Amino acid sequence: MPKSVLVNDVDGTRGAFASLEPPLALKSQVLAGGRGKAGGIALVNDPTEAEREARRIFSLAIGGERPNELLVEEAYPHEQEMYLSVTLDRGDRAFVTIAASAGGINVESMAGKVIRKISLDGIDAAFAAEVASLLKLPSEQARQFGSILLSLEKLAREKECELAEINPLAVGEDGVLMALDAKVIIDDNALFRHPEFAKLHPVDEFEGEASRQGFAFVRLGGDIAVVGNGAGLVLSTLDLVGDAGGKPACFLDLGGGAQQERIEAALRLVNRLPGVERILINIYGGITRTTDVAAGMNAVLAEGAVKPIYARVSGAEEEEARKLLAGTPVRMYRTAPEAVEAVVKGA
Amino acid sequence: MMLPKQGDSVIVQNMTGRYGRLHTRLMLDYGTNVAAGSAPGKGGQSVEGVPVFNTVAEAVEKTGAKSSVCFVPAEFTLSAGEEALDAGIKLLVIITERVPIRDELRLLQLAQSKGASIVGPNCPGLIVPSQKVKLGIMPAPSFSPGSVALYSRSGTLTYEIAGQLTSAGFGQSVAVGIGGDPINGTTPVEWMDFVQGMEDTKAVVAVGEIGGDAEERLARHIEKSGYSKPIVAYVAGRHAPKEKKMGHAGAIIYGDYGTADSKIKALTAAGVKVAVTPSEVPVLLKKALS
Repeated sequence: MPKSVLVNDVDGTRGAFASLEPPLALKSQVLAGGRGKAGGIALVNDPTEAEREARRIFSLAIGGERPNELLVEEAYPHEQEMYLSVTLDRGDRAFVTIAASAGGINVESMAGKVIRKISLDGIDAAFAAEVASLLKLPSEQARQFGSILLSLEKLAREKECELAEINPLAVGEDGVLMALDAKVIIDDNALFRHPEFAKLHPVDEFEGEASRQGFAFVRLGGDIAVVGNGAGLVLSTLDLVGDAGGKPACFLDLGGGAQQERIEAALRLVNRLPGVERILINIYGGITRTTDVAAGMNAVLAEGAVKPIYARVSGAEEEEARKLLAGTPVRMYRTAPEAVEAVVKGA
Repeated sequence: MMLPKQGDSVIVQNMTGRYGRLHTRLMLDYGTNVAAGSAPGKGGQSVEGVPVFNTVAEAVEKTGAKSSVCFVPAEFTLSAGEEALDAGIKLLVIITERVPIRDELRLLQLAQSKGASIVGPNCPGLIVPSQKVKLGIMPAPSFSPGSVALYSRSGTLTYEIAGQLTSAGFGQSVAVGIGGDPINGTTPVEWMDFVQGMEDTKAVVAVGEIGGDAEERLARHIEKSGYSKPIVAYVAGRHAPKEKKMGHAGAIIYGDYGTADSKIKALTAAGVKVAVTPSEVPVLLKKALS
């Protein structure tokens, strides 16, 4: 990798010229893909230019996230950019390595890429050499490439990555291979075997609370909080809201077996989420008892000052649930489309 | 894959846990022959009158069960699945969510080597209403016997759509939640091929969501194989943001990969009728069958 420093403000970016040889690359440190495409990388020649670009990149949100840090790196003069990754092929249900001697922003459209299945137990030097030969690399580069692929595969396997990618893998003027950018996606479900990653993910107050409660939660920036039980059901509710012209504030999946306390916790969370003006609840009660859902709503209503709730609660004990909510400000609907129409209108 | 018939013995792994107990009762209530359970160190106990053994091997030996419903926590699902497959289980339904991808792939390889099938993980299981067989956690009242095969990548959405089919008079020959993870033990293509061969199935409802390319692959398969039964599909997540996991580990869009629009376009081009909302599914099905 090229020489670099990590800075956390504009002055630090200017200061990097004291220890690094320009031209320098400024790289936004966000946990999101498509950074280059979004304008999160700039090549600068002097401190004035660096200051201007650093200001721009620090205020540029990528995937909803602004960087706290920039990586300032010596630009690496190179003639060729390759691509290399170890990734899950969902369709083929196997890990694969993807390599191409001409890299680029879109893996899908890379010409002449090589794709090879990888055993769950790893690869050997012969495998790496075969990939290098398929890429028709000169022998010295093939040797370097093989060792990089072996290391990347080991990293992906041992740290249980869904994706470990070097893009671009540059070939310098002197023929040396250099990783100019890299990205990994860790398998969240394997984190119990990797406590070393526990502190990596920045979590805001609401995401933290949702995670403690075991909710699946995504902030979306609109004014209608969308709450339901089951990921697919909430996803389909987001579509109904979007089609009706509404703007969801969040996706909140209570998960299975949603009991009264969980409904209460979810309502409290979305009720204080900035930007939320109305709350849409879509519960299909199978195992979930709809009377528990109603009791949860009542308990939170009793605490006062709850944003307007529009609810579709369907399933076991539905009529009893309706009775429990009669005379409360909760607006009840028989079907999801009816509840969505009402919450979008704000009627 | 072999679907269990009425009266076939079924075992429940981690029967003594909270969900194991609850769903042992609900499966028995539905009419499923839950014949034994397994839970390490809990041998000799019983749940709802069903005997619990320390190992799957003992439970299989005592009951001849070929199917298992697994409620073992994610940290131990790999070893529990290996235990079941080694004991001769041929249909392993894994309800557990948050199983690591590499554990799922190892289980899949083992199942393939033993000629067994896996449904899930991270799924509600499968139900065959005409046989009163329920291997999973779905609420029974949403389902009824009939001739529509339903598969879905999502749990509650399965119940929602099954409930609407039932209300509209379309019972189900079989319904399965294949799971919300990036890796499914049984893929949509495998499932569709299986129901193609079911004589009592007149039509298929396919419920997908964002993430991966399962629907695009299904569309190519339908075109190539000349699928003969009418298909109605629904795909959730048209308004989902990119790069965010939407509840399911597998429901995530990377760049232009995994969008609902790409899936809907592919399915439509393959001649599948795609519903815009869940409630449109029975409407399109009625048209397709008339």
